[in-house]
Amino acid sequence: MLAMEFGRLLMECGASGEIVDGVIGAAARGLGADRVDLRVGYASLEITIGIGGEGITRMRKVGAIGVNHRLDHEIRRLGGHVQSGTLGAGAARAELERLVRTTPRYPGWAVDLAVGVACAAFGRLLGVDWPGAGPVFAAAALGQAGRRSLAAHRVNVFIAATLVAFGASAVSGVCARWLGSHTVAVAMSAAVLLLVPGVPSLNAQNDILAGRPTLGSARAVWVAVMLIFVTVGVWLGQFLLGEAHP
Amino acid sequence: MISGAQLAHHSICGGVAALGFGVLFNIGPRLLPWCAVSGALALAIRTTGLQLGWSLEAASFAAALAVGGAVRVAEHRLGVSRNSLDVAGCIPMIPGGFAAKAILGLFALSASPAATPDQVLIQSVAGALRVMFTIGAMGTGLALPSLLLRVRRPL
Repeated sequence: MLAMEFGRLLMECGASGEIVDGVIGAAARGLGADRVDLRVGYASLEITIGIGGEGITRMRKVGAIGVNHRLDHEIRRLGGHVQSGTLGAGAARAELERLVRTTPRYPGWAVDLAVGVACAAFGRLLGVDWPGAGPVFAAAALGQAGRRSLAAHRVNVFIAATLVAFGASAVSGVCARWLGSHTVAVAMSAAVLLLVPGVPSLNAQNDILAGRPTLGSARAVWVAVMLIFVTVGVWLGQFLLGEAHP
Repeated sequence: MISGAQLAHHSICGGVAALGFGVLFNIGPRLLPWCAVSGALALAIRTTGLQLGWSLEAASFAAALAVGGAVRVAEHRLGVSRNSLDVAGCIPMIPGGFAAKAILGLFALSASPAATPDQVLIQSVAGALRVMFTIGAMGTGLALPSLLLRVRRPL
């Protein structure tokens, strides 16, 4: 079950199926398994461990999938130590729990500002004029703060995406119009680009290419549904500002 | 022909966007400048490709291939794991705007009788296909260096 814990955490950090497969297999063999058969699903992992002539099958649920590179990197490093036999099961479990507790994250306000700057840069790439770039920055930063708050209250991720998209696009549109921007509609779209699921969409492609079409398809469906909910939020914002019609 | 200022503008914006998303993805401070470099490289190549008359899909593929290859070469030196720098660098190329336009077009088509439903449908489907092909091209470009140079490596 310790090897499964490596895989569950990696999935929740946004790793591709190939990475999850590799780390679980390496950890299990490092802990004494002779044979490892693994199925990486979107919401669960199933493993059969063979030792000698005996075998045991276990399943582990995967929680909400996000992106956390630093934890991902540390878990892979720890998996390498387990594979080489330098850590036993007890020490590896303690270290894994310590990593989950202590791996640093950026402060929430820093992430909000970074996301705001990123979306403003995105906006410029999409053709937003300078009077529209400021509102995109502010709306996206507020949107990211709202997304964190909704996640903390365990609001459904798709509903949260619609609410954030609506709020961010409306704020961006109102402010851009007030500042005299000529690219209000584009500014409204740019402010919600923080919600575009880039990592899952690339992981979906990577998983299919690496021979895991089921996992890749599940990710692709999730991406498509997320895009629909985000677009509904943008449409509501545009409707509020008279940029769209029912 | 694209001017140097335009290329610099796109590269800087790509770098800034990748840097911001690097923070969102909790990439360590030591690697954040490399995120910016990766994003700037991706946008520079894509912008140049578009100016040469390539399609968005072809330009995105070339940019993703270059970023994936560069990260593959640098990953051991930088101590970075795959699927982080290259993905952060390619995030600014995700065609989210096209996806939103395509879905909005389909909404418009189903919500009320459009004046030119055939045009709306064609534009929406074309937009959706462009999103699919662009993401497919990017994913393939990122994956190719690893698939072609697949060797047993430490985790």
